[in-house]
Amino acid sequence: MQNSSRSTTLQTLIALGALGVAGVLAWGAVQIPSAAGYSGVGPAFLPWLVASVLALCGVLLLLQARRGGFRDVEPPSGADRGDWRSFAWLAAGLLFNATLIEHAGFILSCALCYALAVRGLRLSEGQATPLPRMGQDLLTGVVIAAPVYWLFTQVLAVNLPGLTSTGWF
Amino acid sequence: MIEMDIWSQLLGGFATAGTPINLLWAFIGCALGTAVGVLPGIGPAVAVAMLLPITSQVDMTASMIFFAGIYYGAMYGGSTTSILLNTPGETGSMVTAMEGNKMAKNGRAGAALATAAIGSFVAGTIATVLVTLFAPVMANFAVKLGPPEYFCLMLLAFTTVSSVLGKSTLRGLTALFLGLAAGLIGMDQITGQVRYTGGVTELMDGIEIVLVAVGLFAVAEALHAVLFEGRTVETQNPMSQVHMSRGEWRRSWPAWLRGTLLGFPFGTIPAGGTEIPTYLSYGLERKLSRHQEEFGTIGAIEGVAGPEAANNAAVTGTLVPLLTLGIPTSTTAAILLGAFQNYGIQPGPQLFETSSTLVWALIASLYIGNVMLLILNLPLVGLWVKLLKIPKPQLYAGILIFATVGVYGMRQSSFDLLLLYGIGVLGVVLRRFDIPSAPVIVGMILGPLAEAQLRNALSIGEGHWSIFVQRPMSLGLLGVVLTVLVLPQVLAHWGRKRA
Repeated sequence: MQNSSRSTTLQTLIALGALGVAGVLAWGAVQIPSAAGYSGVGPAFLPWLVASVLALCGVLLLLQARRGGFRDVEPPSGADRGDWRSFAWLAAGLLFNATLIEHAGFILSCALCYALAVRGLRLSEGQATPLPRMGQDLLTGVVIAAPVYWLFTQVLAVNLPGLTSTGWF
Repeated sequence: MIEMDIWSQLLGGFATAGTPINLLWAFIGCALGTAVGVLPGIGPAVAVAMLLPITSQVDMTASMIFFAGIYYGAMYGGSTTSILLNTPGETGSMVTAMEGNKMAKNGRAGAALATAAIGSFVAGTIATVLVTLFAPVMANFAVKLGPPEYFCLMLLAFTTVSSVLGKSTLRGLTALFLGLAAGLIGMDQITGQVRYTGGVTELMDGIEIVLVAVGLFAVAEALHAVLFEGRTVETQNPMSQVHMSRGEWRRSWPAWLRGTLLGFPFGTIPAGGTEIPTYLSYGLERKLSRHQEEFGTIGAIEGVAGPEAANNAAVTGTLVPLLTLGIPTSTTAAILLGAFQNYGIQPGPQLFETSSTLVWALIASLYIGNVMLLILNLPLVGLWVKLLKIPKPQLYAGILIFATVGVYGMRQSSFDLLLLYGIGVLGVVLRRFDIPSAPVIVGMILGPLAEAQLRNALSIGEGHWSIFVQRPMSLGLLGVVLTVLVLPQVLAHWGRKRA
C-alpha cells in the first residue's frame, strides 16, 4: 500500500488547493479600490502580489505532483493510513464543544469534548472503551476544566460562559 | 563610557527582576516551560500563546519575565524527552536526540541529561552576557535604519524561514505566502481599507495569531495523534544517576563553548531559528571528536553537549533582533512580539530608551532563570520524567481543553473555535505533505509590518522602487536575500555535478 502522503492524486489536490486560495485572493483583490496614493502602492498591492506568487507556487506544485510527486518529501511519522473512525469521535468532541459552549457553559462543554476525545484516542490505540469509562472521563474532564475556568474567570477576569452567572460554574 | 552605562542599567534590571513577585513569575515560567518542553504535543509557542490573556491583568514586566521563562525553559525540558523517549519514525531533525538517545539506550541517560542541562546553562549564561553587551549596540545602530532597510530585513527573515529551513524552497514559499494571505485579512493598517472579510464582522480585526499558532501546533498535534499515531509504540529508556565522570566533563566543556559560539550569531541574525546551528555543531563535534567510534553507536557525549549548547545560545540570541529591531526570528519570538503589542509596545531600537526598565529587567531575568532551570533540571529531573508517564489519550484531550480556553478566552466567539479546529486540520495536511508550518506564522505576523514598511519606504522614495537600491544598507541586504535564495540551489547543482 502506498503511503498516503506520496499519493500523487492527493498531492495534486494540495496544489489545486494552493491555486484555489490564489484564485480567492485575486477575486478579493479586484474588489479592493486601489487608491494608490502618494507612495504609488495602495492597499490592493500586496493582495495582488500574494495572489500571483501563490498561483505560481500552485502551478509549480502541480507540475511536481504530475511528474512523479513533490521533491524530497520527508515521510511523515506514524501510520500510512488515517484512522478515521477514531478521528470521528475526537472531531465530534470538538464540534460539540464549539456549538455547546455558549449554552452548557465552559466546564460541561469542555468535559464532554474531553471525554469524546479520550474515547477517540483510546480507540486509535486499540484499547477497549466501555461506556462506564466514558463517565469516568467526563468527571476527569470536569476536574481539569473547572480549575482552568476559575483561573480565567476569577483571577484573570476573562469572561467565559458558565451555566450560571456566578463565575464559579 | 557606554559600558559603564550598561552595567548600571543591568544592575537596575536585577533590582527589578529580583523582587519576590518577579522572582516568583520567573520561577513559574521556568517550571511551566520545562513541563511543556518535556510533554509532547505542546511547545513554548503554544504555551505562551494560550497564556497571552494574562497580559490584561498582569503587570507588563512580570508577564514578559514569565513568558521568557517559558521560552527557554522549554529548551531545557525538550532535551529530557528526546534523550529518554524512543519515538519511532521521528526524523533526524532533532539533532540532540540522536546521540543523547543512543547514550540513554546504553545505560548512560544520567550523563546525557547532565551534559544537556549544564551545557544549556553555560550556553544560556554566556549568550545572555553577549545579549547584554550586544543588544544596546545593535539598538544604537538600528536607530539609523529607515523603512527601506527594515523592509529588506523582513524580506531576509521571510527568505530564510521559507527556503533555508525545510527540504523544499517551493513548499516553504507556499507556506509563507499562505501566512501572508492570512495576515491580509482585516483592516489595512495604513488606509483602513477592509480586506478579505467576506462580510464576516468577526474577521474585521483580522485573524488572531494565537488562534493560528494554537491550531497549527496544539490542535493539529492531537488530530495527527488520533489519525496516525495510535499504533506507534513508544518506549522509555532507563534512568541512571545524573552525574558526569571527570572524563565526561573534559569532553563536554569544549563542546559547550564551541556550540555557544556557533549558536549565538545564528540566533541574532534574521536567519530563522535554531536548526542550522545545532546541525552545524553536531557536524563539528563529530569531526573533532577523538571518539569517532561512539557516534551513532553507543552515543558520544560531545554530540549531545555541542548541539544542546548551540540550541540554547541561538534561542537566547533571537532576543536581540526581537528587542532591537522588532523582528521575530522564531515562532515563539513571534508570539512574544504579540505579547508586547498587547501592552501597546512595538519593540524596536527605541525600546531601550522608552522601556529601558522592562528591557533590563527582562535581560536580568535571563541570568536568574538560567540558574533556576539548572536546579530544576539537574537535581529535580526525576520530577519531570514522571510527566512522560501521562497516557497519550488523556494528555492530548487535556491539551484540547487548554487550546479551547486560550482561544475562546480572547473574544468569546464560537466562530473562533470552529476556525481553530479548521486550522488544526490544515496543520495535519501541512505535516503529512512535509510543508513547514513555521513560515505560516512568521508570514502572518511579519506580513502586515513588512507591508507598512514597504509603503513607507516608497513614500520616502516618492513612489520610486529605486529607493531600495540607492541606499547602501538596503542594497547590501537585498544582496544577502538573493544569495540566500540562490546559493542552496547552486550548491545542490554543483553537488550533483560532482557526484
